[in-house]
Amino acid sequence: MWAYIVRRLALASVAIFGVLVIVFVLSHVIPGDPVVAILGGQAREDIVESLRQRWGLDRPIHEQFIRFIGRLLQGDLGTSLATNRPVADDLRAFFPATIELATTAIVIGALAGLAVGIISAVAHGKWIDHLVRFLSLIGLSMPVFWLGLILLLLLYARLGLLPGPGQLDIFVTRPPSVTGLITVDSLLARDYAALRSALGHLVLPAVVLGSHALVGIARITRASMLEVLGQDYVKVARAKGLAERTVILRHALKNALLPIITVIGIYYGGLLEGAVLTETVFAWPGLGRYATNAMLSQDFAAIMGVTILIALIFSLANLAVDLAYGLLNPKIRYE
Amino acid sequence: MRIRQALAILMLVAVAIAPAAAGAAPSRVPANVLVIGMNTSDSVSLDPAQAFEFTSVWVNYHLYDTLVDFSRDFARVVPRLASSWTASADLKTYTFTLRPSRFHSGAPVTADAVVFSIQRVFALKMAPSFIVTDFIKAPTDVVAAGPNRVRVTFNQAMPEMLMASVLANPVTGVVDPALVRRNSTPADPQGNKWLTDHDAGSGPYILMGWTRNLKIEMRAFDNYWRGRPKMGRIFLQDMPEATAQMLALQQGDIDVAMGLLPGQFKQVAAQPGFQVKQTPTFTLRYLTMNVGYEPFSKKEVRNAVKYALDYEAYKRIFEDTIDPGQTIVPANMFAHLKDRPYQRNIDRARALMREAGYERGFKAELMVPVDVPLPDVAAKMKEDLAQIGIEVDVKVLRNADILGVYRAQKHQLAIQRWGADYPDPDNLAKAFADFDSRVLAWRNQWDHPVKAKVKQAVQERDPARRAALYTEIQKTVLDEGPYAIFAYPLRLVAMRTSVKGLDPSPLYTTYDMSNVTKE
Repeated sequence: MWAYIVRRLALASVAIFGVLVIVFVLSHVIPGDPVVAILGGQAREDIVESLRQRWGLDRPIHEQFIRFIGRLLQGDLGTSLATNRPVADDLRAFFPATIELATTAIVIGALAGLAVGIISAVAHGKWIDHLVRFLSLIGLSMPVFWLGLILLLLLYARLGLLPGPGQLDIFVTRPPSVTGLITVDSLLARDYAALRSALGHLVLPAVVLGSHALVGIARITRASMLEVLGQDYVKVARAKGLAERTVILRHALKNALLPIITVIGIYYGGLLEGAVLTETVFAWPGLGRYATNAMLSQDFAAIMGVTILIALIFSLANLAVDLAYGLLNPKIRYE
Repeated sequence: MRIRQALAILMLVAVAIAPAAAGAAPSRVPANVLVIGMNTSDSVSLDPAQAFEFTSVWVNYHLYDTLVDFSRDFARVVPRLASSWTASADLKTYTFTLRPSRFHSGAPVTADAVVFSIQRVFALKMAPSFIVTDFIKAPTDVVAAGPNRVRVTFNQAMPEMLMASVLANPVTGVVDPALVRRNSTPADPQGNKWLTDHDAGSGPYILMGWTRNLKIEMRAFDNYWRGRPKMGRIFLQDMPEATAQMLALQQGDIDVAMGLLPGQFKQVAAQPGFQVKQTPTFTLRYLTMNVGYEPFSKKEVRNAVKYALDYEAYKRIFEDTIDPGQTIVPANMFAHLKDRPYQRNIDRARALMREAGYERGFKAELMVPVDVPLPDVAAKMKEDLAQIGIEVDVKVLRNADILGVYRAQKHQLAIQRWGADYPDPDNLAKAFADFDSRVLAWRNQWDHPVKAKVKQAVQERDPARRAALYTEIQKTVLDEGPYAIFAYPLRLVAMRTSVKGLDPSPLYTTYDMSNVTKE
C-alpha cells in the first residue's frame, strides 16, 4: 500500500505541475493588468509603469514562469500584490478558517445526508420518500446566498438564537494561534468563552454550506441504497430473521458506501476551496474571498498560491477516498 | 394535530421573517467603544506612503498625524502637528513649527521624523506619491531647520489650501523613524513590509491589530496632544454584505453601517433609533468619449451625446443617492461652478448630429463596470443614444479590464468615476483638462489649449483670480470636453442615534472619528 501511496503522490506532483502551467498561462493571457487592477483608475501612468517593472510584470511570460518556479523550489510563493504580504502568510491566515467551516459543513452534510438518504430509500415510494425528493430538489435549486440571508434574518435577527456575521464576537480576544483553527486553539488555551463564541458563529455558515452537500449526499445515498436493498444478500439477511436495523446498517449501508464516500470526498474537496458567497454573507475570513479577490485583481502570486493549495487538496482528497475504498471493501487491492 | 402543528410552525416562520415594525434592539456595544460595519477588503497596506484605498487611508488618518489639516468645512487650513507656520513671499517655501507631541512608542515627534517620513514617499514611489512629487521637486527640498522646525520648498507658489492638499494628506503622515529603521531589512530598507500592518504613528489612535477580512482594531492614544479621544476603542468590522450589515446594525452588534444599499438606507432611516447622514462627495461619475474615435473628434457629436442623456432617469436608477452636477469641480469645493446646461433635448441633439455630418448616426461600444447599478445606467444610455442614431453596444466588464483599455486610449465610450485626491480644483483640472498630466484628458486624447489655463491657475496666488480661472476651465470642459458628467455621488452612512459627531465628509481622507461620542 505504501508503494501505491508514493506512486500516487508522484503522479499528483506531475498533475499539480500541469495545473500550475495552465493556470499561469491562463492568468497571464486573459485581458487586464494587475498593476491597474490594484492601483485603480487614479494612479499616474509613470507610477503604474514603475511598479510594473518593480514587480517584474514587464518581463516575458516564460521568464516570469521560470522565476516563479525558481522561487517555488526554494519554498517561496512570492508576495501578494493585493495584500503586500507573502502569499504563504496569507494562506496560513485564511486557510484555517476555511478548514473549520468546510469540515463542520461536511460533517453536517454527510451525517444528515446519510440519514435522509437511508430513510428515503427504506421508505421507497411512500410519502416520506416523495417529500425528501421534493425537498432535495428545492435544496439543490436554492441559491446559497439567499439561504444564508434568510437564515441570518430568521435565526440571528428575528429569533436571536445564533450570533451574526463574523468568526468570533468582536470583543472576544482570539486565543493564541497554535493550529490557526479558532475552535481548536481556544480548546488548547482552555478559553471557553472564545470556544462558545467560535462555535456559535460556525453554526449558520456551516449549515448553509453543508445544505448543498446534504442534498447531494442524500440523493446518492438513496440511489445507492435502493440498488443494494434489492440484492440477494439483503434478502437472505432478512430471511435469516435479522432485525431490520441490522439489515440496513450492517448489510446494506456498508455495501452502499463506496459511491457515497466518493461524493463526500468530492464535496469536501470543493468546500475546502472556500465558498465565496457563504463567506461574503457571513463575513467569514476564508480562502474563498481571498481567492476571488486574487482573481479579480489578477494578483498572480496569490492565484498561483491558491492553485497549488487547491490542487494539493484535491490530490489528497482523491487519494484518501481511494484508500477508504480498501478499508470498506477488502476485495480492493492496491498495486 | 399534524396540520395544526405545521400551521403553527408556518406562522412562527412568517412572524420571524416579517419586516420589523419596531425600532432598534438595545446596543450590545459598550458606550466607550465604536463598532463600524463595512467592507474592509480594499485595503492593501497601512504604510502611509503606500495606502491609497478608502479603508487604509481612513484608518491612517487616525494613526498618523500630518503637519496640517483642513477644517471640517474645507474652508481653511488648521494646525495639526505644526502649531504654526510661515510662508515666504513667493509662497514657495513654508516653515513649520512643531508642537510638543509624542509617537505611540513614546519617542518625541521631531523635525527629523517629518523629513524622514516625506523622504520615504520619494524613496518608495508608491501609488499616492504623486500627491507629494507633483509639488515638491526633490527629497532634499524638505529639511529640518531646527529640532522642531521643518522647511518645505515647493516647486511652485502654493496658496495655503494647495499647500495643505499635500501636507494634510495621509501620505505625508509622520512615522517614527527609529521604529521603522528597527523593522527594516536590507531588502526593504524603508520598512514597507512591516508598516503594512503595524503602526509607527503619533495620531489619536493606536493600531491594535488588523486581521484581514475580519477586523481592524484601534485604541485611543492616552498621550495625544489634543487629549485622549472619547471612544476608547474603535473596531472596523469587516462585513462585505449589505443585508448582513443592516441586520447587525438593527440587532445592536454594530453602531455604524457604511455599506448599505440605497433602499436599505431609506428603510433604516424610517425606523426609530437610527439616523442616516449624507453628504455630496468630491467625486464625479461621467460618460467618457474618446476623441481618438472619429465621430467623437467632433465637438458637436460630443455635445449631442450630452443633450441626449436623460439625467433625471440616472438619478432614479441610483435611487437618489447622487446629486446632479455637470462641472468638473464638485459641489462644496473651492471655485465650483453650478452650471447644468445639458438637459435632455433630443431635437437639439439631432440638430448637432446633423451639423457634424452624422445624421445617420454611427455605432459605438460602451464599457461599463459590473458594479450595481451602473449596468442599468448603461442600458438607459443605450436607449437614450439610440434616439439620435448612435447604436450602442454595451459591454459589462470588471473595472480593472475597462481601465486597461481606457489607459491604452482604446475605448470608445465608458462609464467611469473620479474622486479628488485632494480638495483643490487643481486635482480635477489636471485630470480632466490638462493633456500633459497624462490622466483623463490624455486617456481621451483631448489635447486642448485650456491646459495652459490649468498650469496658470495652480500658480495663481490671488483667490479671486484663481477662482475665475477655474470657472473658465470648467466652462471650456463643459462646452467642449469629452465628458458627460452626470452625477456627484452622495456618501451615506447609517448609525444609531446614540452616535454623535460622526459626520460623513466629502473627501475620503478625512472622515474624523476622534470627536465621536456615544450617549
